[in-house]
Amino acid sequence: MTVFKTFFKVVKAYRGTIIFYTILLIVFGGMNFQTNDNSMTFTNTKPDIAIVNKDSDNPITNNLIKYLKKNAKIIKLDDSESKRNDALFYRDVNYIIYIPKNYGKTISEGKKVELSIKKTPDYNAYLAYIMLKRYLKVQNIYTKTNTDEREIIKNINNSLDNNTKVKVMSKLNTTELSNMNSYFNFASYSIMAIVIFIVCLVLSGFHEESIIKRTIISSMDYKRYNRLILISGIIYTIITWLVFTILGFFLLKETLFSLRGLIYLFNSLLFTMCSLTIALLVSSLLNNKNAVNGIVNVIALGSSFLCGAFVPSSFLPKSVLNFSKILPTYWYINTNDTLAKLEIINLNSLRNVFSNMIIILIFILVFIILNNIITKYKRKIG
Amino acid sequence: MFFHNFRYSLKILTRNRTLLFWTFIFPILLGTFFYLAFSDIEKNETLDVINIAIIPNDSYKNNKIYNEAFKKLSDKKNKDRLFNIKYIDETRAKKLLNKKKITGYLNFEDEDIKITVLTSGINETILRYVIDEVKSEETIINTLVKNEAMNDIKKGNYNIDYNKIYMNANKLLNSDDIKIKDISNNNLSYTMIEYYTLIAMAALYGSIISMFITNYYLANMNSIGKRVSISKISKFKLLFSGLLSSYIIQVFGLLLLFLYTIFVLKVDYGTNFNLVMLLSLVSVLAGLSLGVAVSVLIKKNDNAKTGILIGITMLGCFLSGMMGITMKYIVDKNIPILNLINPASMITDGFYALYYYNTLDRYYFDIISLVLFSAIMLVISIKSLRRQKYDSI
Repeated sequence: MTVFKTFFKVVKAYRGTIIFYTILLIVFGGMNFQTNDNSMTFTNTKPDIAIVNKDSDNPITNNLIKYLKKNAKIIKLDDSESKRNDALFYRDVNYIIYIPKNYGKTISEGKKVELSIKKTPDYNAYLAYIMLKRYLKVQNIYTKTNTDEREIIKNINNSLDNNTKVKVMSKLNTTELSNMNSYFNFASYSIMAIVIFIVCLVLSGFHEESIIKRTIISSMDYKRYNRLILISGIIYTIITWLVFTILGFFLLKETLFSLRGLIYLFNSLLFTMCSLTIALLVSSLLNNKNAVNGIVNVIALGSSFLCGAFVPSSFLPKSVLNFSKILPTYWYINTNDTLAKLEIINLNSLRNVFSNMIIILIFILVFIILNNIITKYKRKIG
Repeated sequence: MFFHNFRYSLKILTRNRTLLFWTFIFPILLGTFFYLAFSDIEKNETLDVINIAIIPNDSYKNNKIYNEAFKKLSDKKNKDRLFNIKYIDETRAKKLLNKKKITGYLNFEDEDIKITVLTSGINETILRYVIDEVKSEETIINTLVKNEAMNDIKKGNYNIDYNKIYMNANKLLNSDDIKIKDISNNNLSYTMIEYYTLIAMAALYGSIISMFITNYYLANMNSIGKRVSISKISKFKLLFSGLLSSYIIQVFGLLLLFLYTIFVLKVDYGTNFNLVMLLSLVSVLAGLSLGVAVSVLIKKNDNAKTGILIGITMLGCFLSGMMGITMKYIVDKNIPILNLINPASMITDGFYALYYYNTLDRYYFDIISLVLFSAIMLVISIKSLRRQKYDSI
């Protein structure tokens, strides 16, 4: 009991750090959450655009704006060019359309007017472009053949008014699944940081020379001592995992109450255990308490960046992903990503998930064996 | 005395490995992680050819408008090529769709077209827009032909040449003369913000160095501080030489980071190298003054002070976009005052202004803000450092 009590006394002393990493998880795991939209029916993706209208109240211009409002999301920005530039750089808008003075009047006279735009180099801007292009083409045609403003507008709207039917095949609620996925992927960072950081700090306390000497001359059997340390570590790890699970229930609600959610939870338990074995290994290798913070940051941040905990792995370069296969986090995240995409869950579709879990188990074994070899070697030196 | 102390401060600082890890090596490591994680993000955003499938039944083969439209849109020689089309039957198309090899497939049924996709999304929307556009063309031609015929009838001409009208309408439709002028800036790579916040972090982490060296001159911190306090040497000279050594080390560390980010990570700092240097020197000064202020004002041990400095730095970097690039924009839009007092944001904004803006007003505003920040920190520190007396300690 003495060992156990001491273990948790030290853990308690570092509660600030634990709370810090948990808040990080809530903020960043939850930051990417998208609001749920019903994915069973098709909805057009709407690019974010801004309109700078220098023209006066003119039916032709108003019709263009009406069309843009219908097909894109109009972002209201302060009327200054630097505010608009900032919005474009930070992708608050993908497309800015500048409507010049007397635009509507000149167009209805059958003359050509050039529209200036600013755009970001991405898909959303392209979408805005084909949308605008479509309208302008139709407008061009009718202003060439007609002079009556009302007639032109009527013809334009008639020609644009057709929506092809789209059938959606997937039965998955992709928004909820991607929220769950981003929570568990980010959790890999928090779990790793909390487990390694705290276990290393606690154990480095136990490893201090004066304390080791006292432990050795005490009546306690060293096997029992080691076992108690291990059990305390496992209990601490499980508590950490439970906290994250409860947190998950709060953030994800009913999405987690499913077979899929259960597999997510089991996967994260396995990963938490793997982090514990890493922590044990690191603490055996390390003698310096001051170095713990640096090492934890390198291990946890490094594997999170390289394996896709922060940036989705589909955005990572191939070479990085190939390298990160030597890290357990890769296999953990790979399981999560696979789960998010599965249409049906059965033994066959879960094959990839099982093999990933076996790989993490192998990692756990390897870390335990390495740890045993190192502690044995170190004891001889002492 | 000045050089003596300067030399020893340098020695103390360069021998502290933990300190050097956080100020020199950690930013470089973090930068490398950023590079590995973010280097492909923007490449993924540029438009690729969209893979789709068409079921080549009779309805499709007989539809001239669509045949030609898709031939044009999937032509490999066309620089605006949008689609890569597979002509396969429905079962195979479904299989490919489930494996996400295609964005969607088209099924022509008599007069109507059905698009089948897996989920809603951008590529799917583009596909729909293109189909809508081709559909519009049908409506347009019909309207034009009708209008033209009506005009002829109104003029009393009942001998209508439909073929000619149709040809004219088609010609009108294919005359591609839409005028859109792109006036956007080329420097739109927003991942650059990550590296700018990294520079801000490194500069502000320098505060740990100046905090560490200032602690040596504080009587309430350690025995060296007590001894220094009762000696007769000028405290100003002492502090100044210590801070100068810490400034030099910080600048050296930042220089390493710059070389690494420019030559290895290919970060773009804009074209004006002198202004980049000026901004860096001022940034380091801000970090240094922050460290001195925390060291003097907060009466706690070394570890607590380090924790506070790391906390301030990371919070500042968070607000200026290190953990999510748009954060700075969100703060600027909603609580602008927060970024006006945040040194990390001033530094990031300065680099951003050099990279993205053509004018220098914004850059100089940031420089002045940083100088003001440093001055305020230093004045507060000096005020509380002067005439410190301890009856017992």
